Amino acid sequence: MTRRRLPEWFLLLLPAIIVIAAVVLIPLIFSFYSSFTPYKLTRPSTLWKWVGTYNYEKILSDVKFWAAFGRTILFLTIALNLELMLGLGIALLVNKVTWGQRGIRTMLMFPMMFSPILVGFQFKFIFNDNIGLVNNIIQSVGFADVALPWLVDGKLAMFSILFAEIWMSTSVFAILILAGLFAIPRDPLEAAKVDGCTPWQSFRHITLPFLMPFIFIAMTIRSLDVARAYDIVQIMTGGGPARRTELLWTLMSRTGYVDARMGLANAMGYVSILLSILFTIYFFHKLSAARAELGMTG
Amino acid sequence: MDLTLSHRNRKRGLKALHFTALFLVMSVICIPGLWIVLNSFRPTIEIMAKPPIWSPSFTLDHYRAMFGGAGEGGVPVFKYFRNSMIISITSTAIAMLIGMSGGYAFARYRFKGKNGYFVGLMLFRAVPGVALSLPLFIVFARVGIIDTHFGLILAYVAMNVPFTVWLTDGFFRQIPKELHEAAEIDGCTRWQAFWRVEFPVARSGVASAAIFAFLTSWNEFALASQLTRSVNSKTMPVGLLDFTAEFTINWGGMCALAVLMIIPALVLTFLVQKHLIAGLTFGGVKG
Amino acid sequence: MANVTLDTVDKFYGKHQAVHGISLDIADQEFVVLVGPSGCGKSTTLRMIAGLEDISGGTISIGDRVVNDLPPRERNISMVFQNYALYPHMTVGENLGFSLKIAKMPDAEIASAVNEAAQILGLDELIDRKPAELSGGQRQRVAMGRAIVRHPEVFLFDEPLSNLDAKLRTQMRVEIKKLHKKVASTIIYVTHDQVEAMTLADRIVLMRDGHIVQVGTPLELFNKPVDVFVATFIGSPPMNILDGVVRGDQIQLTDDLAIKIPSDARGLVQDGQAIKFGFRADNLTPKGHGVSDEGEIATIDLEVSLAEPLGTETLLFAEIGGVEVQAKMLNPRSVKPGETLSFQLMLDKCHIFDADTGAAIRG
Repeated sequence: MTRRRLPEWFLLLLPAIIVIAAVVLIPLIFSFYSSFTPYKLTRPSTLWKWVGTYNYEKILSDVKFWAAFGRTILFLTIALNLELMLGLGIALLVNKVTWGQRGIRTMLMFPMMFSPILVGFQFKFIFNDNIGLVNNIIQSVGFADVALPWLVDGKLAMFSILFAEIWMSTSVFAILILAGLFAIPRDPLEAAKVDGCTPWQSFRHITLPFLMPFIFIAMTIRSLDVARAYDIVQIMTGGGPARRTELLWTLMSRTGYVDARMGLANAMGYVSILLSILFTIYFFHKLSAARAELGMTG
Repeated sequence: MDLTLSHRNRKRGLKALHFTALFLVMSVICIPGLWIVLNSFRPTIEIMAKPPIWSPSFTLDHYRAMFGGAGEGGVPVFKYFRNSMIISITSTAIAMLIGMSGGYAFARYRFKGKNGYFVGLMLFRAVPGVALSLPLFIVFARVGIIDTHFGLILAYVAMNVPFTVWLTDGFFRQIPKELHEAAEIDGCTRWQAFWRVEFPVARSGVASAAIFAFLTSWNEFALASQLTRSVNSKTMPVGLLDFTAEFTINWGGMCALAVLMIIPALVLTFLVQKHLIAGLTFGGVKG
Repeated sequence: MANVTLDTVDKFYGKHQAVHGISLDIADQEFVVLVGPSGCGKSTTLRMIAGLEDISGGTISIGDRVVNDLPPRERNISMVFQNYALYPHMTVGENLGFSLKIAKMPDAEIASAVNEAAQILGLDELIDRKPAELSGGQRQRVAMGRAIVRHPEVFLFDEPLSNLDAKLRTQMRVEIKKLHKKVASTIIYVTHDQVEAMTLADRIVLMRDGHIVQVGTPLELFNKPVDVFVATFIGSPPMNILDGVVRGDQIQLTDDLAIKIPSDARGLVQDGQAIKFGFRADNLTPKGHGVSDEGEIATIDLEVSLAEPLGTETLLFAEIGGVEVQAKMLNPRSVKPGETLSFQLMLDKCHIFDADTGAAIRG
């Protein structure tokens, strides 16, 4: 018995560590390396040519990249904020319902089960300028004579994409915040009522602080897959028209698969990974802070 | 008197407002899905009609074509469905075993840097599928597992493990540790204590974690679109693309396939919705 | 034979030492209670005996076997947990029979053993219920039934009554005592409640900060505490403790209050020595309201600040030199706050402790 045995917790974690290392870490290391080469899928030998930070310099000085980057940040900011607000609103609405609440809660989960790609197709269909539901209604009712180019006009396309994204993800917020509302202890709220708080005051000073951890859980879960928006955008507009809805992820996939410039695409990939990780760490941090404040550690 | 009356009127007004708002919200949530279902039963001519036809007729053509194999566009839906099932179920089962073992480690053992390990694990989940698909495609091509069930299963296991760890950690933590201590004193080994006491007690939570993993695999597109090539391994989300030709889209057929994709997800979610919510919030709040 | 022996047992959590080399011999069929304030290491000690915690140093034996490296299942013990730890997915009957099932006993034998245990504890009616459908007292009973069904050599109880309300606790205390008579096994019982310790134990082990402070029968600990800590921990109300200095044959408690040193303690203290002077409320009684007027008695006039009538007796609160003391009035009459009474202090029942170490000079 000279060899020290590995601790049990480590043995239990080992399979997870191995599979993630094999499937995520190793490819990531490889792609990190290839982001310093001019690697092209069509010419494998280019993998061995070292170009230093050329790819990074190139994307950092590329207007198209920065446009996509800025648009992605803007997209996420608008989407996440609206999802949070709408989710909170919906949760409060449903919380007030006295009859059929279970059914409504189940319906709320509806969009969560949809594949993002399905959401993309669904709204591509609904926003279709020729046969889409939206234009059909608008024209039948007589709001407009001509078909609105929902997915062709730059601004409208951005709106359509945002709509699809928010439709898909708001329910995560609504459901988690609703769970938080159910878990609020009655006593503080009743005490506030007796102390003469207005409904707004008791919401602001009791309900909302209590909901914060739930909001951050929702944010954390969301931040884990912000890039799901790629599926939607890819299907609905493919980044078009004329790059007006180009996000970091669609730009990367075009550069990698269509143009076959893997090195360059991987460099962009790293920027997007960094972005996702920053989001995640930020919300994890917020989550533990909110937890600590309410004394929920342990 | 006036005061009570105006109060009552205000209350009634608020109630109406509440109802209207709720109705609108629920409509926006439900109509897109229902529209897809509705259109899967409408003939193509009617879908494409201009001006639109508002009174729908009913046909099973799209489903007949879909299951007939080589109908409109000849999309091999059965094969895709089979691939999706095999890949999702297998990867879920493996991810659950690995994830439970990791979740159990986080819930039951104290060790240095636990929080760091946990966040680190989650960060791997945060890597965008598109960003991962580029290098994974190259690596898988080298190893020769592109366009195989195995390759996609492997990718999905890795993708699902972190979140499974999060959920099961929460569920196991809800179980007082005295329970397995009592089991050990009652004569169980640690292994027996887990399978005979802790696992059965946590089973509803574990089931919901499994559903979550299944849905993630079932719905995934970014990786699948790159790691699959042919009917050998294409899953349904990728198969959906088969309905788009160069300039036209077979909307009816697509809607029918969409319905086929949604049904298993719908059923599973109904079964575990209660535990799913409990799992997400507990794992997060008390973590 | 299931005597339990602890020999210089240590427990470390990293650098923190929770249990400091404790040694203890527990005889077969003895009822021993480990008692002490929270964090004193009593539960840790119990869990080391159970095998739920590793033993950092020393040895623990059950019967003739050293059990240090044996897992719980091989120690032939059973344990009742504070929160009962019933298996929520099993019925009462399945909970009771689980250990036998794990031991691969035939079903018929399990059934009869479960029935026997259920009968002893009055659980017959509840056998098909799930734990969630039981009241606190019933859960407690199931937890005990699960412990006795296997006929183990040693029972371990970890604060089993602390989740029950006061009335139920008294009732269960009696049942545990009866159970001990019936099963005739060794019992090691952990509690922070000195009343439970006094009423249940054959022997009490009083612990503090990971050390054993005193081991003895309940009356030994009550009458002969080895130090101030034991004196104030055991007994209700806690012993009154006053600072004092020895002056000749007297103890100066305040500037204008001195008390004669009990005659048998005179040789034990020196002139000028700082001491702590202790006496129980029972031994400070208003004149005419005590047990007896015999023996060495000091008389003190005190102003009563508060009276707590308890029926057969009244607790009186007063101050000596700024320290609150409690006295007992038997055959009580009503007393108003502010009233001054003449109290009798029974000197031969008093305790003298060293002022620095707290160790008993006269127990």
